[in-house]
Amino acid sequence: MSEVIATLKKDYIYNLMIKGKRQDGRGFKDFRDLKLETNVISKAEGSAKVTLGDTQVLVGVKLQPGTPFPDSQDEGVIITNLELNPIASPEFEPGPPREEAIEMARVVDRGIREAGAIDIKKLCISVGESVWIVYIDVHVLNDDGNVIDASCLAAIAALMTTVVPNEQQGIGADVPLAMKEMPVGVTLAKIGSKLMVDPSLDEEAVCETKLTVVSSSDGSIAGMQKMGPAPFTEAEVLEAIDMACEKAAELRELYLEELVKKE
Amino acid sequence: MSDKPEKLITDDGLRLDGRHADEIRPMKIEIGVLSRADGSCYLEWGRNKILVGVFGPREAHPRRSQRADTAVIRYKYNMASFSVEDRARPGPSRRSIEISKVSREAFEPVIMAELFPKTAIDIFVEVLQADAGTRTAAINASSIALADAGIPMKGLVTSCAFGKVDGQIVLDLNKEEDNHGEADFPVAMTQDGEITLLQMDGNLTPDEIRKGFELVRKGCKEILEIQQAVLRKKFETPVEEPEAEVTEEAEETELEVVETEPSLEYAPEAALVDEIIEEAKEPEEELSEETVEACAVNEEAPECEKVEEIIKDAEAEVVEGEALKEVIETEIKEEEAEEEAFEDEAEFESAFEASFEEVPEPEELEEPEFEETVSEDETEVESEIKELADEEAQPEVETQLEKEKAEVEEESQLEQEIQLEEEVQPEEEVQPEEELKPEEEVQPEEEVQPEEEVQPEEKTRTEEIVSKETFESEPEIESEAESRTEALEKTVEEPEEKCKGPWKVVKDPSESGSRGENDE
Repeated sequence: MSEVIATLKKDYIYNLMIKGKRQDGRGFKDFRDLKLETNVISKAEGSAKVTLGDTQVLVGVKLQPGTPFPDSQDEGVIITNLELNPIASPEFEPGPPREEAIEMARVVDRGIREAGAIDIKKLCISVGESVWIVYIDVHVLNDDGNVIDASCLAAIAALMTTVVPNEQQGIGADVPLAMKEMPVGVTLAKIGSKLMVDPSLDEEAVCETKLTVVSSSDGSIAGMQKMGPAPFTEAEVLEAIDMACEKAAELRELYLEELVKKE
Repeated sequence: MSDKPEKLITDDGLRLDGRHADEIRPMKIEIGVLSRADGSCYLEWGRNKILVGVFGPREAHPRRSQRADTAVIRYKYNMASFSVEDRARPGPSRRSIEISKVSREAFEPVIMAELFPKTAIDIFVEVLQADAGTRTAAINASSIALADAGIPMKGLVTSCAFGKVDGQIVLDLNKEEDNHGEADFPVAMTQDGEITLLQMDGNLTPDEIRKGFELVRKGCKEILEIQQAVLRKKFETPVEEPEAEVTEEAEETELEVVETEPSLEYAPEAALVDEIIEEAKEPEEELSEETVEACAVNEEAPECEKVEEIIKDAEAEVVEGEALKEVIETEIKEEEAEEEAFEDEAEFESAFEASFEEVPEPEELEEPEFEETVSEDETEVESEIKELADEEAQPEVETQLEKEKAEVEEESQLEQEIQLEEEVQPEEEVQPEEELKPEEEVQPEEEVQPEEEVQPEEKTRTEEIVSKETFESEPEIESEAESRTEALEKTVEEPEEKCKGPWKVVKDPSESGSRGENDE
């Protein structure tokens, strides 16, 4: 992520920012071209691939029966993992996940969990003994900036196309995974005094700090995370929340509502 | 969820532990609890028990982790396996790794890491007992430990969470509220309110977040006061180890500089107390130090030019201040005649010491006599100066000054006292600084050196000149001139601070008195 960026380039991006422009001609509230494909991996119970500019993220959802947590015996379990594959960037190395990967995985997880996206009560096979464990595995295939938003969108899209493999366990017919909410994460990068959505790789390297806001369809916030060393002011946070909610509603309508209709 | 209590907030608006919605849990902080660490802190907040040790700046290992231009800040949050209900698996978890990352980022804006290239500053957090809000507690403790270690910082970081419980926005969730509440929103902020850590999970509307920010600001203000009190308490007693003093000096001065701004915004009381203490001790020098540091900080920034301009203006004012000095000197001479009765300096000193002894903690230190005298003296001098030189004095201050003037009866006494003080100072010039500084500013003998080093050349020159020229009675005048110059600088830099600057002492004489006690 922290790729070396020439000072000249940094100045260039800053000067553009002051003029209200961005490197690739977008406005501060514009996403790059976004493409969402679902059911790209047939072996997985659900899958989705998001291409955001040149960033590519693939999410596969697997369901396996397992034991519930003692404090929630009638609820399914959600486990989210995010891999920054070495294939995605010269910066990434093989080995155990780095803290960025862990942080992003937990932000994706928190959005889905806290928004109540999955009806986890319906994942109970037998109370206290067996529930479905939903593994959400995020694979970053190409990092060209804003992996976190692509991951959030791919994860929820994959879940929306997930089928619970009841037949495989001999407990009835396969049913679609019961979904209740469509949280969408939008990240704002702070460059100078400006906030902009969907930072590119260069913008990510230049920006002081980022704020990811995961919002639900009713406009409430399900999760937030500040990533990066520089501080935000309170006003910037509130502005970021408004921008993120607006963009999230757009993305939801453009990409996720369609999936609901398909079903 | 099965054992969720029916109500987390009772009908009378209190929470299960008896707190109001905007109340934080009781916090206890101990500083310097680990002998081998460079700085350490033990903090209890509610039932949380947190231990923090700070090491460094020290050589960074492995070497590839070094950075040529700055120190590497490493923050390791670790939960003891026995800290929670069900034994936690020892070693880093995904949760602790994430918390470590965001907490480190919470400190990166304030730690002046660029001063220590190729080194590492290690912050190790051990959660001995967890009861919700451990990351915020750990950040508060780390702030103190960093200060204890003498790591230069632009200010303290304070952290507090808000959340939603039973549909209500409340401050500082306890364990039950955290488990069964609807949202948790930890925030860390600098002393001037910039948010350096922000996380959130749950379900909140933007309006609820706005409301929560208000609560958090209040909570962080209260915590900041506790932190500052702890630091003062430790450093108000003469410190045997000069290193510790030095470290704290830098921090405290920095802190104070930052404090004035936020305190005014947040809670006038806290701000006034801090300011008064500083001013009461050595208003002139303190202010100058603050301004100097501020300038030093700004030098790096594009504001340098402004600073230079300000300095020029300040010099011009110094000339004015000298003119004022002359006037004041004449007055002082008159006063000196009256002083004879008061020449018992020993009494004065003993009173000082007694006040110090009596007042271990700043809150407890309210002894109007001595403080009032100091404040009044200052006010008098300031008022005189103001009269002589038409400055940009704020109306409030002036009104206050006039009120104080009305208290002419005390003035004569005060003047005498002032003279006494002046006399004492020249004799003990080094001592009073040391005494005062360690308590609040924690700047021992080394104070002078760092000041000169830090201060722009121009300022140091002015100060030196003044010091040479000043007689026993003069130092105050000089200091005022300096303070004015400083004030001007501040005004240029940040217009809001101007009012606050040198005149703060005047505003609340009673508080100023308390500060004076605290100082010594």
